[in-house]
Amino acid sequence: MMAAISAADQGRDVAVLSKVHPLRSHSVAAQGGINASLSNNLTKGSDSWEAHSLDTVKGADYLADQDAVALLCQDAPRAVVELEHMGTVFSRNDEGKIAQRPFGGAGFPRTCYAADRTGHNLLHTLYEQCMSRNMTFYDEFFVTQLVSAGGRCNGCIALNIANGELEGFASKSLLLATGGHGRIYSHTTNAHINTGDGAALALAVGLPLKDMEFVQFHPTTLFGTNMLITEGARGEGGTLRNTSGERFMSRYAEHAMELAPRDIVARAIQTEIDQGRGREGGFVDLDLTHLGEERIESRLPGIRQISMEFAGIDPVTEPIPVQPGQHYSMGGVDIGNDCATGLPGLYAAGECACVSVHGANRLGGNSLLETVVFGRIAGNSMASSAERSADPDMTSIKGGLENESRRIETKLRREGGERQSTMREDLKQVMWDCFGIFRNEESMEKGMARIREIQSRMGSVSIDDKARCFNQALVEVMELEGMVRIAESVGLSALYRRESRGSHFRTDFPNRDDREFLKHTITTVREGGLLISYSPVRLGTFAVKEREY
Amino acid sequence: MRLRIFRKAPDQEETYRVYEVEPHHGMTVLDALFQVHDRQDDSLSFRYSCRGAVCGSCAMLINKVPRLACRTQVAGLIDETPMKLAPSQSIGQTIGWDPPTEVLIEPLPNMPVIKDLVVDMEGFYAKYRRIQPSLLMREAGGRESLMGQDILRELELYTNCILCAACYGACPINGTDPKYLGPAALAKLFRFSIDPRDTDGLKRLELADEPHGWWACRFYTNCNKVCPRSVPPNIAIGRARQELKEKNKVMKGET
Repeated sequence: MMAAISAADQGRDVAVLSKVHPLRSHSVAAQGGINASLSNNLTKGSDSWEAHSLDTVKGADYLADQDAVALLCQDAPRAVVELEHMGTVFSRNDEGKIAQRPFGGAGFPRTCYAADRTGHNLLHTLYEQCMSRNMTFYDEFFVTQLVSAGGRCNGCIALNIANGELEGFASKSLLLATGGHGRIYSHTTNAHINTGDGAALALAVGLPLKDMEFVQFHPTTLFGTNMLITEGARGEGGTLRNTSGERFMSRYAEHAMELAPRDIVARAIQTEIDQGRGREGGFVDLDLTHLGEERIESRLPGIRQISMEFAGIDPVTEPIPVQPGQHYSMGGVDIGNDCATGLPGLYAAGECACVSVHGANRLGGNSLLETVVFGRIAGNSMASSAERSADPDMTSIKGGLENESRRIETKLRREGGERQSTMREDLKQVMWDCFGIFRNEESMEKGMARIREIQSRMGSVSIDDKARCFNQALVEVMELEGMVRIAESVGLSALYRRESRGSHFRTDFPNRDDREFLKHTITTVREGGLLISYSPVRLGTFAVKEREY
Repeated sequence: MRLRIFRKAPDQEETYRVYEVEPHHGMTVLDALFQVHDRQDDSLSFRYSCRGAVCGSCAMLINKVPRLACRTQVAGLIDETPMKLAPSQSIGQTIGWDPPTEVLIEPLPNMPVIKDLVVDMEGFYAKYRRIQPSLLMREAGGRESLMGQDILRELELYTNCILCAACYGACPINGTDPKYLGPAALAKLFRFSIDPRDTDGLKRLELADEPHGWWACRFYTNCNKVCPRSVPPNIAIGRARQELKEKNKVMKGET
């Protein structure tokens, strides 16, 4: 929506397609905040965008492209102030300025927040701003194909979910902003809708995906449902304890403790659980009781509500049961700093894309920031390239419509096959078992075989619902086709990276290997199969070092 | 556990179908709907996204009470003591429902059904757009505007709204007056009117100074009771009316 706003402000004719109403998008669930070196909280002295960059690059285990990180951090204060001017009701400090709290892997308290509902507040603010601009929303339209012809992207074909009809959209510039692919994992904080649709669409037109092996596992998700328990809970002073009440983080990150980067804290918790120091069922305690009711109610009201409603626990009096779960996709569609993909007319931004600003591990508070900073960049790039480019090729859109119409009819005609739901469950389990927090060659090889076996079953999937109106199963089948491809890309990238870096931890290669692997993994479809190649990391000011926290 | 679910497809009669689901600890109504959809009948349609009560997709009528399916656990729904709501014409009796043995799941009232539990929310969103929900910044310098804790707390009451339309489905006035703007849109309008950063401020209240706006409310407070975010549209409406009355007095030269 930030891209839509900035393109509309430059007088372009903008349409937004979304498979759900835009306010149901997963950004709404972001809790903890958005980073910007505003220096509103001076407990650790004055912050700077350079310090923010260093933290981001170090957190990324040096796999981030440093020029992209500079763009992100330099623009952050402007972007946050802009959001405030657009109407976001941020939490405030005693001076009335935007409040900032400490977050994992950050040297300064630079995470701006709206209680623990920051994403909700930003998403609603941006949608509100869209309402006063001239643009058209196509809600509940599921994009089934990008139309690539004549060496450019001409638009897309989308299913109008409400009536089941296919419609063609011609565009000079098209942006993928579809979010991550967390739902390929059985334990995830992600919404049901996060099925990696944009990355799958890009892969299908021959575009490369980057760094797909880097999957963030959030340390603290609610035991059972894996609902997110924000890092802000630790930022406000929450502690992690094992069964004997020990603050075990002292053994893993003696200085940063609970506020080490997410990959480190997630592995620490999983190690405690695996070595029998977790609670029965597989979780540890996140203790907020010492913060007191008033602070919990003003800073973490959503966390209290989630704990009470979904776990029957009041964090004011009892610790929250937490375990790691999939949370974020660092990898995505390979784009440049201008958000352009390798196909003219096609752009990507946000979690579905990989610039890369997060490298091998994203810092908390940097994803909302990425969406607004690179959303604006994408909108500008699209507006200026649209001004120069010729009209899209309408015959290719017509051809795309015919292809997609046949494809959907075939799916609906098929009888007596397997349900998509069982295949989806199988896939999620494989990904969690074989490509989770700890990985090794043997289990990943097995995982790859299982992914390919699921892929071979895709051809026989059938749908009982033969009607067109709001055919949820049809959408789920098309999502699953993409998910399997994405899973294969994650798996293969992980298998080939024989080192441990950031979120990618191999028990058979536990060390980082800069000589061999300080590079981005690229996956592309070639002759039906996936091909792995590499591209260099753009280094810069910050020398590559061992991470210490 | 038995679910009695409202079913409707285009060109077909409305009907209810009963499904047996296997409950598990912590199972929500949304989980139960997925179980039906995944294992028994994939033609069952419903909206979903976050499953954590923040996105507002899955408001529906559960045992005659509008609420989020993802936030409502199935345990306790059989023969539950119903929440006390003022009666609404659009939440009537359901023939055949047996509360001691079944959970009743129906689409949100006051909106046309597209299919099964999916309603057409366009009317609801159109009213949201009508109240012009975009902040008009008074003056935008290079820094954020300052804001005190008191006004922050008050704004948060209303910015917590997730536009799930549970209030709209619960409101007896929305059930009889299709033009009534409804609790969510009015609460949103009030939120902008009290924002100290906004150029128009209290002047915005005039947008709903009409029979189908502020003045249609009869303070049944169903809106506040069913809100999953504890937003109080009834308080917003009361305050807006008070403001408008004061202003009209001043205009008439009264003191």
